[in-house]
Amino acid sequence: MRRAKALLVSVLLAVSALGATAQATLAFRGDAWSNSDSFTSHCLGFTDTWPRQLYSLTTAQMAALGYSPIGGALGAGFTRSSFLSNVFYDYAVYAHTHGDNYWAASGAPNVDSAILQDPGTGNCSSFSRDAIRSSAIKSATYGTFYNLVIMSTCMLGSSSSTMPGAFQIEKTKSSTDRKFYIGYAKLTYDSAQFRFESALWSYLNGAPNHQRTLYQAFTYAASIGGYEVPDSANPFQPNWWGNPNYNGTPGWM
Amino acid sequence: MSAVRTVAKAKPFLAVAAVILGLAATAGPLTAAGFSRDVSGPPDVLSSRIGQATVTDTVLYADDSPDVFARARAARDALGFPAGAARSGRHVKDGLRNAEYDEVADLDSAGRPISLTQFDGRGRLVTAVRFDLPPGLSAKVTSDQASKAAEAVLGRSGLTPAGKADAEPNPVAGGWDVHWPRTEGGFLVRGDETTVHVWQDGRIHSVARVEHQLSSLPSRRLGQADAQDVVRHQFDAWFAGRGSGYAVANMNLEWVEPNAAFDPSKIGATPASYRLAWVANVMPSGAAAEVLRQITLYVDAGDGTVIGGDVVE
Repeated sequence: MRRAKALLVSVLLAVSALGATAQATLAFRGDAWSNSDSFTSHCLGFTDTWPRQLYSLTTAQMAALGYSPIGGALGAGFTRSSFLSNVFYDYAVYAHTHGDNYWAASGAPNVDSAILQDPGTGNCSSFSRDAIRSSAIKSATYGTFYNLVIMSTCMLGSSSSTMPGAFQIEKTKSSTDRKFYIGYAKLTYDSAQFRFESALWSYLNGAPNHQRTLYQAFTYAASIGGYEVPDSANPFQPNWWGNPNYNGTPGWM
Repeated sequence: MSAVRTVAKAKPFLAVAAVILGLAATAGPLTAAGFSRDVSGPPDVLSSRIGQATVTDTVLYADDSPDVFARARAARDALGFPAGAARSGRHVKDGLRNAEYDEVADLDSAGRPISLTQFDGRGRLVTAVRFDLPPGLSAKVTSDQASKAAEAVLGRSGLTPAGKADAEPNPVAGGWDVHWPRTEGGFLVRGDETTVHVWQDGRIHSVARVEHQLSSLPSRRLGQADAQDVVRHQFDAWFAGRGSGYAVANMNLEWVEPNAAFDPSKIGATPASYRLAWVANVMPSGAAAEVLRQITLYVDAGDGTVIGGDVVE
């Protein structure tokens, strides 16, 4: 018994000595993924800089919200296999890439939303090769919960999107669980996504002790105006589902 | 069901286990198991500026800044926002948005914001928004009623946008978004507007005014045919040998903000004043259309250079 107590004390000492670091670095992982190789001069003749800008913004702000470590990748590390093998461990997931609500393998009218992985250095995107379907994500999440999911793509905030369900987030605005999903309902300029997400993070992380809720930050960002739109059929429409009283900090309690 | 529950508890367990096994934080095994940060692109100083941008604020007190608080109260009342149990003020330097403003929030009895108003350095209303949830579906105003409600409230708030409003339904929060796009010298100022969100019961949810500084008009203006040549030349150069095609959908003269969309060296640069430009909306086809739905190019109306643009991925 005494030996057991001594062992327990030793373990607790070891944990307390290393626990702070461990908690900060391992406890609540967030992944930010951004497809940049599809948008390089190799594929397009010019380098689209928005993927890098959005990635830089997200990694810094997700960390400020308390997620740690921040994983994921900008560019070639954003592969389907890397995304799917890591997603189970995440509490927050962000993806900036091409996204849409595609017909499921079973055919219309069933939808199986998808995002495109980065095609890899020297390659350009191909839907058939690069799609990461929501059904595949749902399988990889194994029913576990997510605090914050942001799909910085076109269309995955629309009512037909199956992406929230891949993360066990119901399409309700009255959840009481600690979860929140953000997406865009229409075709959206990258500049509008950057403006919106900058305002969202600015408001959310702009007060001490995480006093503000994601709903407030979303509402603020949606209200500031100035969003350019590609055409009149695609007004700027960010959308959310989840808990309107949740402040976005990681954890299940 | 039980299987889902079991697995749903696995992540919290993993988080706790990670703490207990925290000694592995700096060791190899967990890093190799996928906990590493993988940034494939070369880090650059300019994009790191975005990552390092911060929001700093200075507390404003009603006794020291009575004009700010008086403005906020007047705007709140004009908009019909509820009065809070208390108010707080701050001067914000928002590095994420390159913006600076005074902000006053009405707070509930627990100190949570229920609405806010923001003002620029000249004391003009920039943003006002209330944070309570949208009303139910019991009452639905028409677009005409929403436009009139928006116009009335702007008048009471001292904002008088010119021109005719556009109203579009807001399926996310309900009601209508009523926009007055800004024009200057007969040309649209891209993104600048006064906008009001009217809830479906007719109450005002938010007001925003976006207005940027404009450069002077160019002394000599590029004609549309010449601007089209610039666009074609640019896309021919970009898409040559890449299996991509394009079609110019439309071109208009607009005031635009030069940006870093196609020029990495300009990421994080101080925003420049708006310039008059030919805005070309181009629809890609072939390989480029796998990831891009639209490319918008800004061609300076004075010197014909490409000064930025945008993409729809």
